[in-house]
Amino acid sequence: MSEADGTMSDKKANLAAVSTFADHEVILPPNKLKKAVQKVLDTDVEFDPVAKAEAALAELSQDFSAWMGQECDRLDAARHAMRAGGINQGTRDGLFLAAHDIKGQASTFGFPLVAPVADSLCRLIEHTPDMARLPLALVDQHVDAVRAIMTRNTRGDSDANAARLSQKLRQVTDEFLAYENRDRPDHLEAILSPALAPG
Amino acid sequence: MVRIDFNRLRFLIIDDNAHMRRILRTLLHGFGTREVYEAEDGAAGLEGFTHYSPDIVITDWAMPIFDGLELTQMIRQPGANTNPYVPIIMLTGHSEKKRVISARDAGVTEFLAKPISAKGLYQRVLNVVANPRPFIRTKSYFGPDRRRNANPNYAGPERRKGGKADVIKQQPLLDKAKTTA
Repeated sequence: MSEADGTMSDKKANLAAVSTFADHEVILPPNKLKKAVQKVLDTDVEFDPVAKAEAALAELSQDFSAWMGQECDRLDAARHAMRAGGINQGTRDGLFLAAHDIKGQASTFGFPLVAPVADSLCRLIEHTPDMARLPLALVDQHVDAVRAIMTRNTRGDSDANAARLSQKLRQVTDEFLAYENRDRPDHLEAILSPALAPG
Repeated sequence: MVRIDFNRLRFLIIDDNAHMRRILRTLLHGFGTREVYEAEDGAAGLEGFTHYSPDIVITDWAMPIFDGLELTQMIRQPGANTNPYVPIIMLTGHSEKKRVISARDAGVTEFLAKPISAKGLYQRVLNVVANPRPFIRTKSYFGPDRRRNANPNYAGPERRKGGKADVIKQQPLLDKAKTTA
């Protein structure tokens, strides 16, 4: 094959296959990731990438308590910033992002009982329609609960007090949100609908 | 059985949280990846996307100023970059139905809810590499086919119009628009 033929063939391989219909196109892009697919025998289980990644994460886990402490400090600082500077878009976003990160990371860091408290705080911030009506006392209770569960080093999911505290905060938050969104039935339905995304 | 050679894949992680970036990097290295690039916000992520030409993008949703959804919309914009087809895995603490649908409609390829697990991440990567979906372009959408399965029980109207066309190798309209712009 000449160099020109090779170039032509390369160009062809980089083209997408397109089916054109009345109101849409279906495009099959060139599969550039095919290079990474390996066919192996079912019996070939020497290398388990998931187990290897889990082992690597386990090695990292000695840092998790310190990281969780840093995330809690950040949440506390965001709460104080809101108290000092008032409720505005900046302080609201700062508090939300700090709570949101804890919600997503607490279980990975070994503090699964912290996650639902942070989730409840995220819901409170996100679904209070009038930002100015965000109840700071309830915000404080969430932040204090996160810090208390973390400081007491309540690992695992067997601490009944932490679980009860978390459930109570969620209940009070949902009652508040139901009241604040009483004139927005569609929004209320979306707030109370179950989570959809797979983990 | 299909296995992924992670050593042949280049990843771009976009997350404003340094701890989460470290966890993702650790997992990807554990899978066998060597090339992992990081960006700490959407704007830096877009720049990194252009600069590193990653095979797969993993992005957080909630980031200040320019979030993961906006980043996805930028990447999927016809003519905006060299690889609008890049698989995008959205990693997020948002798991409400409304959020998942918004991510899907922005052109996200896979959605992975936190807390992250090695198995969950591996499965998403396996899916985008071994089972790539076709892209659909309409007046209002450009992204991976949102119909993952044909539902035999679907009783509503057919929303896509037009008979089956011949499949030909050609330059997609968006590329044509890009080269003639």
